[in-house]
Amino acid sequence: MLKWVKTAAMAATGAMLAISSASAETVVNFAGYTGLFQDLYTKAVIEPFMKQNPDIKVVYFTPGNSAAILGALRAQKNAPQLDVAMMDITLAKAGTDEGLFAPIDETVSPHVADLYPMAKIPGVNAVGMTFDSLVLVYDKMVVKEKPDSWRALWDPAVEGKVALHATPDILGVALTIMLEKMAGGSDYNKNLDKGIEEMMTLAPHVLTWDPKPDLWGMIMAQQAAMGVGYNARAQVFADQPGSVLAASIPKEGTLFQINAVALVEDAPNAEAAKKFIDYMLSPEAQKAFTEAMFYAPTNSKAQVSPEALERTSAGQMENVLNVDWLAIAEIRDQVTQEWRRRVIPLSR
Amino acid sequence: MAQQGDETRRNGLAIALLLPIVLVNVGVFLYPVLNLLSTSFKEALPGGGIGTEFTWANWSTLVQDRFYMEALLRSVLMSLLITFLTLLCSYPIALYLHRSSGQWRTFLLVLVVSPLLTSAVVRTYGWVAVLADTGLIKNGLEQIGITLPFRLVYNMTGVVIGLTEILMPYMILALLAGFGRLDPRCEEAALTLGARPIQAFWRVVLPLTAPGIALGCLLCFVLAVSSFITPRILGGGRVFLLATEIYDQAIVTLNWPAAGTLSILVLVVFGLSLILYTRALRAFD
Repeated sequence: MLKWVKTAAMAATGAMLAISSASAETVVNFAGYTGLFQDLYTKAVIEPFMKQNPDIKVVYFTPGNSAAILGALRAQKNAPQLDVAMMDITLAKAGTDEGLFAPIDETVSPHVADLYPMAKIPGVNAVGMTFDSLVLVYDKMVVKEKPDSWRALWDPAVEGKVALHATPDILGVALTIMLEKMAGGSDYNKNLDKGIEEMMTLAPHVLTWDPKPDLWGMIMAQQAAMGVGYNARAQVFADQPGSVLAASIPKEGTLFQINAVALVEDAPNAEAAKKFIDYMLSPEAQKAFTEAMFYAPTNSKAQVSPEALERTSAGQMENVLNVDWLAIAEIRDQVTQEWRRRVIPLSR
Repeated sequence: MAQQGDETRRNGLAIALLLPIVLVNVGVFLYPVLNLLSTSFKEALPGGGIGTEFTWANWSTLVQDRFYMEALLRSVLMSLLITFLTLLCSYPIALYLHRSSGQWRTFLLVLVVSPLLTSAVVRTYGWVAVLADTGLIKNGLEQIGITLPFRLVYNMTGVVIGLTEILMPYMILALLAGFGRLDPRCEEAALTLGARPIQAFWRVVLPLTAPGIALGCLLCFVLAVSSFITPRILGGGRVFLLATEIYDQAIVTLNWPAAGTLSILVLVVFGLSLILYTRALRAFD
């Protein structure tokens, strides 16, 4: 018995020693997107950060998409384990309202002062870390000439081969906004009736409303010929050897999807987390990630190479619609209902 | 007296043995379900918040909204169709398997079970390759000059084909389990007494295997209603079902109260099918 107690005590001491030696290195738990984003963000931002701060280790968690990340934060609200999380700006607003995030201002990172106004939304305790734009993604074997209008979706060449991510996915909402603006809608942040009407004429051309694994994958596999997607991903896939995928920003303009970074309220490692956020927003990290994955930088001081900048929408800010995502969030449910009741049934 | 003590001890032992699983079920099944039920009576706030006030709103939307009622009807009818098709495809295979013997039987059994060793996601993508516009079937038919005027995938057709194949192993195993009562001598007796093969099948084989059929149908129906990956991949976003709707509400729109309400509805459907199943079993006996 005594022997057993001795052994246990020794083991416990050993474990405590192991813990204290490990705690010399602070861990920042970060929740982000999975797949390509994770690979490239780790290489372009997280690894350089850890090299500069050898005492901090960033662990990357991938609960899933924005909603799943928010769900994970909600589940651990009373005992947070994550320190930093990224998600779409509309969900960052929901998280802010639920008290999940601590504010990020210039005391957290002086770089906040250099962010574009679109990256700092009042009432949201999170700031823009990447801008992505809406583009036409297409198979250049089927569509020989680079399309310059969103109307290319109606083109007979892609009849029955259009793949769209339907609402409630943001891509579906974004396309409706774009079409509303093209149809001469008066305020696309409040009313999308005209956009819905346009969608109804597009519906019969659509192959799938739920591309699997996603739009980019279906175009690469030549199962779909055209669709509406995000620029960053399209640019990376377009660079792959033998790729048939290409992307085009039409002349009618585009709009930004904003990924925001948030500092978790009562984060267990808040100090290290603030350092990490500061680095994420720095011109250096913003430049590195734009050049790696072609998200437009949110820091106006980022000195991105012209070749990379060319492939984002950052060079032509005047073509970007001024979408108020928080106002859109209010009507997103309603738009989803319209799609399901009036748009999608027309494609059966 | 001693006997009574024995009985108490035996009961105590039974309770002690059952206790762990009961506790596990209360913790990981009953508690979450009750939680879901209470969520379904809470208000959904814009942007995915959950209110604290009690409300009937989710349930009244569910009942009044044609969209949800259609999704419910579609889920149930489609699952019934799939169950029926699965039974149709599986019954002959199961019967043949039951009557075969030796190594041949083992080999066939492994063949039947082997699809279960592959993930349903992989098999579903396999169906995409087969059914797509540029896929095996359409291409093959075009080679011999036939052009199908409709799509085989990204609609209800695709979902029904895919799920039927995916559920077949479950049906076959359930049927085999129920075929224990099927004594070949009964069939032989029927044939000797002058029944035609079809009569022998209809009046002897089928009634004897009815419990297995009921079990297989229950299993497939429940799996079809709750299946979500296959409709998601093969449905092309056109086929709105309860399971896909729950996923959308829970993961995409973040409307957990609505998702909770729909989940409880699915549980009710399962409860009803269980009642039907027990009724059917009693009728067979």
